[in-house]
Amino acid sequence: MARTESQSHDKFAGRWFWRYASPAAFFPLAGKLEKLCWVIAAVLTAVGLYIGFFVAPTDAQQGEVYRVIFIHVPAAWMAMVIYLAMAFWSGTGLVLGTRLSFMMSHALAPTGAMMAVVALVTGSLWGRPTWGTYWVWDARLTSTLILFFLYVGYMALAASFDDKKKGDRASALIALVGAINVPIIYFSVKWWNTLHQGSSVRPGSSSMAATMLTAMMVMTFAFWAYAIAAALHRLRTQVIEREREASWLKEAIK
Amino acid sequence: MSLRSATSAVFRRELQLFARRKSDWANPLMFFLIVCSLFPFAVGSESEKLKLIGIGVIFVGALLAAMLSLPRLFDEDARDGSLELMLTSPEPLAALILARVAALSLALGVALAAVTPVFALFYALPYDVAGMLALNVLMAVPTLLLVGSIAAALLVSARGGAILTAVLVLPLTIPTLIFGASAALKVLYGESPAAELALQAAFMLLALALCPLAAAAALKISTD
Repeated sequence: MARTESQSHDKFAGRWFWRYASPAAFFPLAGKLEKLCWVIAAVLTAVGLYIGFFVAPTDAQQGEVYRVIFIHVPAAWMAMVIYLAMAFWSGTGLVLGTRLSFMMSHALAPTGAMMAVVALVTGSLWGRPTWGTYWVWDARLTSTLILFFLYVGYMALAASFDDKKKGDRASALIALVGAINVPIIYFSVKWWNTLHQGSSVRPGSSSMAATMLTAMMVMTFAFWAYAIAAALHRLRTQVIEREREASWLKEAIK
Repeated sequence: MSLRSATSAVFRRELQLFARRKSDWANPLMFFLIVCSLFPFAVGSESEKLKLIGIGVIFVGALLAAMLSLPRLFDEDARDGSLELMLTSPEPLAALILARVAALSLALGVALAAVTPVFALFYALPYDVAGMLALNVLMAVPTLLLVGSIAAALLVSARGGAILTAVLVLPLTIPTLIFGASAALKVLYGESPAAELALQAAFMLLALALCPLAAAAALKISTD
């Protein structure tokens, strides 16, 4: 009898990973993970930029300017990965009704939008010396721009509801609609225009020196760590904002 | 009331409303006309230049005009209470939404496609290009309204709903825009537009299959 009662109190009791669906359980863990990720991000950024700027050789065709890829490519990848993560948490939230999932996807959105902007800005700064213009309507730049629009739409929708719960579910739905559309948009735009310089910066391709690839991979992991740390920080801020009346929170941030 | 009679009642009501309220069809058409006539003032009146931009301008104009009709899908019904009746109906909500969107697509799509060839003349486009453009507008309007119905359902009587609907929906219509305009361009260059038309139809069918379900879920969220 007592057992069924405790189960009805906490519908996710029983398995250890469900326990962390509760903000109260995840809040302290998120704090620890956040600190860890900040450290990893700082160390990997230092190492990655050092290899990228001082160890990797100068490119035969583009000179020093190619070094922007150590920022540009990880940012472009993260912009895409974060959108998928956001859609994943949105879907989880809609199916399981877990508040924390919605908060996670709200926490990811600004970082994803920022990654898209970083990719666009570094892309155009790279484009000026190599293509002779800041902007070309090539497939990858254009689809990153559209991805940025999708992030903006998600955030604007989430902010337009006074009722937080409604905003959570509405924006989660639009994140899923966007996730279904991302591949369609990507291939349409690719078909529309394929000016990009092809596969020369694809990892593993022979046109890249090993140290360049190392630097890029290290920077990618640094960006991952940064994105996780920033999202967890934002998540904790949201938990504090939304659960400000809860007694466990007063204990946790004492 | 069976599903069939319920959907056909919603369908007929939508068409009747559209026919009886002149502003519902006259305003989008006027908007379309004005947008299309603004561009020559900006880029100059040489027919070679106009021919190049005409297809894009007309297609974007038609999409924007259709966009403006999105709030009327659910907003007025929410005000006069008929949306509540739709929500409490025993018939599946997705089917009722599909009937509404189908009626609006038919009415608005035909209206916009009918004036498209006239506007094509403004831009010195040949007849066959004008015809292809009209066909693509006819196919693009349902896709846009289906995708847009999700946003319209989420933003029923929300503040700033119209502008936010545009922000949410327009990026999602880019594939339709790309292939619609490209089909007309192919005809202009004397090539076959079959691939583009097939893709246009594919987008429409995909939207037809998924969007009413998403819009029904959206309507339940926003009116919760």
